[in-house]
Amino acid sequence: MNTLPQQLANGLLLGSMYGLIAIGYTMVYGIVQLINFAHGEIFMTGGFGALTVYLALPSGTSMWALVPLMLIGGGMVAVLIAVGAERFAYRPLRGAPRLAPLITAIGLSLALQEVVRNFYPDADRARAFPGLDNTHDIGSVTIKDADIFLILAAVVCMASLAFFVRRSRTGRAMQATAQDPDTAQLMGIDTNRIIVIAFAIGGFFAAVAAVAYGLKYGNIDYRMGFLMGLKAFTAAVLGGIGNIYGAMLGGLVLGVAETLASAYIDGIPGMQQLGGASWANVWAFCLLILVLLFRPQGLLGERVADRA
Amino acid sequence: MTDTLTKTRPATRGLIPLPSAAAHALILVGGVATAASAYLAWTWTSAFPGNLTFNGYPGGLQWLTFTAGILTVLFALARQGAPGLKWLSPTSNNAPVVLSTLGAFGTTWFTVISITADLGGLANLEPGAYVAAVASLLPLIGALALPQEGAGERPVKETLGHYIAKADRIPAAQATAPWIQRLIITAVTIIGLATFTYGIDTEYGELFIGYLFVVVFAIWAMHTAGLIDRFSALVAGNRSFTLAMGFAAAIAFPFTQTDDHYANIGVNILIFGTVALGLNIVVGLAGLLDLGYVAFLGVGAYTAALVSGSEFSTFSGVQFPFWASALTGAAASLLFGVLIGAPTLRLRGDYLAIVTLGFGEIFRIAVNNLDGDSGPDLTNGPNGIPSIPDLSFFGYNFGESHDIAGFTLGRFANYYLLMVLIMAIVVLVYTRAADSRIGRSWIAIREDETAATAMGINGFRVKLVAFALGAALAGLAGTVSAHVTYSVVPNPYQFAGSTPPNSAFLLAAVVLGGMGTVAGPLLGAALLYLLPEKLVFLQDKSLLAFGIALVLLMRFRPEGIIANRRRQLEFHETGQLDVPDTTTLTDQPAVTKTGA
Repeated sequence: MNTLPQQLANGLLLGSMYGLIAIGYTMVYGIVQLINFAHGEIFMTGGFGALTVYLALPSGTSMWALVPLMLIGGGMVAVLIAVGAERFAYRPLRGAPRLAPLITAIGLSLALQEVVRNFYPDADRARAFPGLDNTHDIGSVTIKDADIFLILAAVVCMASLAFFVRRSRTGRAMQATAQDPDTAQLMGIDTNRIIVIAFAIGGFFAAVAAVAYGLKYGNIDYRMGFLMGLKAFTAAVLGGIGNIYGAMLGGLVLGVAETLASAYIDGIPGMQQLGGASWANVWAFCLLILVLLFRPQGLLGERVADRA
Repeated sequence: MTDTLTKTRPATRGLIPLPSAAAHALILVGGVATAASAYLAWTWTSAFPGNLTFNGYPGGLQWLTFTAGILTVLFALARQGAPGLKWLSPTSNNAPVVLSTLGAFGTTWFTVISITADLGGLANLEPGAYVAAVASLLPLIGALALPQEGAGERPVKETLGHYIAKADRIPAAQATAPWIQRLIITAVTIIGLATFTYGIDTEYGELFIGYLFVVVFAIWAMHTAGLIDRFSALVAGNRSFTLAMGFAAAIAFPFTQTDDHYANIGVNILIFGTVALGLNIVVGLAGLLDLGYVAFLGVGAYTAALVSGSEFSTFSGVQFPFWASALTGAAASLLFGVLIGAPTLRLRGDYLAIVTLGFGEIFRIAVNNLDGDSGPDLTNGPNGIPSIPDLSFFGYNFGESHDIAGFTLGRFANYYLLMVLIMAIVVLVYTRAADSRIGRSWIAIREDETAATAMGINGFRVKLVAFALGAALAGLAGTVSAHVTYSVVPNPYQFAGSTPPNSAFLLAAVVLGGMGTVAGPLLGAALLYLLPEKLVFLQDKSLLAFGIALVLLMRFRPEGIIANRRRQLEFHETGQLDVPDTTTLTDQPAVTKTGA
């Protein structure tokens, strides 16, 4: 049986999740040149916010009501944390050497993980999340309801973001700030507000990805942000950091490459033992190194000038 | 500077309205009473660790209260210009007195409160505890009643800030004969070693917290008195003597220990500190953020384990002598450093952070999978490589106890001495490199890469040298750590964990101690190793505290405990013209950000 279509679908699904998270990295980086290392943890807290909503609602609630409410709950938590981090941790350091905000971000990331582990009930192991496990067969590809949700969410998020950035006044202000914050400020743009909005959008998209993650895999845990965040950042670099379309494309490419590598690499002579899920992260990382070697500006090119 | 006018106004009153003489008397009497109260019984049962039940002899935490009380008295006398103690307070400012009373107050009240909390209720306190609590509060009241300029006119918060502010100018010390200077350095080294040893030997968490109170406030008091500045000037004049004394003290440490457990703590601190110093080359000097540094330690450790002759190693027939396995480990790390660095160092620095983070994660995954089952057989997977044989030099087996001049050196003490040697090599490499042409290139690249490149520095090449050198030093430390721990397993080599060394802790040691200095990362490593080790009750929350501490540190003191002067100026950049105003080292030409 030909497994290629199924593997491609799996890769695209994983990739849209990476892409949703990567948008948060890329928007923030495009505007303030900061790797918001804690973004993976914002993704994770979004998941726990959604879980809280699920636990608070009566157990028989229909999924049609549940999923939107979980999106709102998770989104609120993630946006609050993202905006709070910007306001209280990053903004005071805006003029500081680049190392300072990066180290702050690492501290923040550890603190968020530990807060959830210590203070969320039973969070020291994986918590069950409602799954959408109905399967559909389309040709030789089997997908779950959760996958349909993920695809829809990614498409809707991406389209509305593109519309927002291109058409709305705030979106154009955002583009201007990314190009040159000082001039943008002189033109009357409240750059602080733009930065907050970038953090908020990134946080909300991360929460959407977290809900999709929970629905797809059926559980979430406090450590899931680290690796997902790392991969999503890889996706952002892959697509060209600062470029929101690049982030989505990078996510898709990374997801497909990773899935195909773990499925087929053991068929290559001499690499029999290097296949399977346990090596997938290694291949994703090798892809990052290759892209940095041969196309450091990313697939679609970056949108920010390099300021030393 | 709007407050230059108010500075000239004579100081008249303190925050708490009391006559000046009464304030001084209160501090002295209170300080003596605090020290004396340590001789009373504070609780009736020996259930509280340290046995504080004796009248007439201090025990455990009472010794700390005693020390803090004596320090208060000394600083108070020096503040009033008592003959023979003038050197303790060169500027006669209030800050040392206030801070030392705070130290005594903190230790004593912490002890009393933890007795109450541990044993459940005030009923467990003997009258001595109440005496101590009151006695330690008196000097604090007295200290806040000392006349301080601005008290009563400015907001209380600002006045409190002035109470603990360092003097603006520290008068240069009188010239002394070289032998006196060396005597002072020797004495300080001995006191330092004794203090450090006491800290490592604390047997329970409460004692360690009390110790931290006393030490932190004592050092802070000395800093505000200007003693630290004077001592640094002394050190600057006797650099090689100080270095020799420092190593003598480091070598002397295992001879002061009777229990090999504390030598084990010592060797772990040294490994952690050495690796942190290596990371300091990468982060502190060259300004490259390496988030997967512990992986290089892991590469060294695994390499050493593979060629150690352990029967569980894939190459179990191979047994290299230590010098060869140390070189192989360092070379393997160097190779990985170049492999990771070469593609990424040409790019913006942020990419390096993420690639090294990825590398650190990949290393852990790879060694977990290279078990012959889910990957080629190399590292034995999660089980690691156990039973690594002990080292042996010229018939001196590191695994056995040896008696030297009446002292018994256990297994860990042997390795400790070996680690001192390795650390000496790393310190030497660090200082020689930092002062050389390439070290200046690193700093130039860190400050402004575009300008440095324009001046003819090959940015990529010097960055690669820094990165590879850092990796090789970590690998070298790793080879020793493989032998110390008997076995290597994948688990410690991760980004963040609750026990050091892991990449986050290493980075924190460098940042907390002070980037770009030699002493900083060592101090940071010692602190970060001892805190989780001693404060067992924190175990679960230590990473949380650690994360929050990193955020706060970056916000309020980004240059770390021991500040590199250039770094300090960089982080508190106020424009170049006002730099000389804020400096206290007036006897040296001020180094501006672009200078040197």
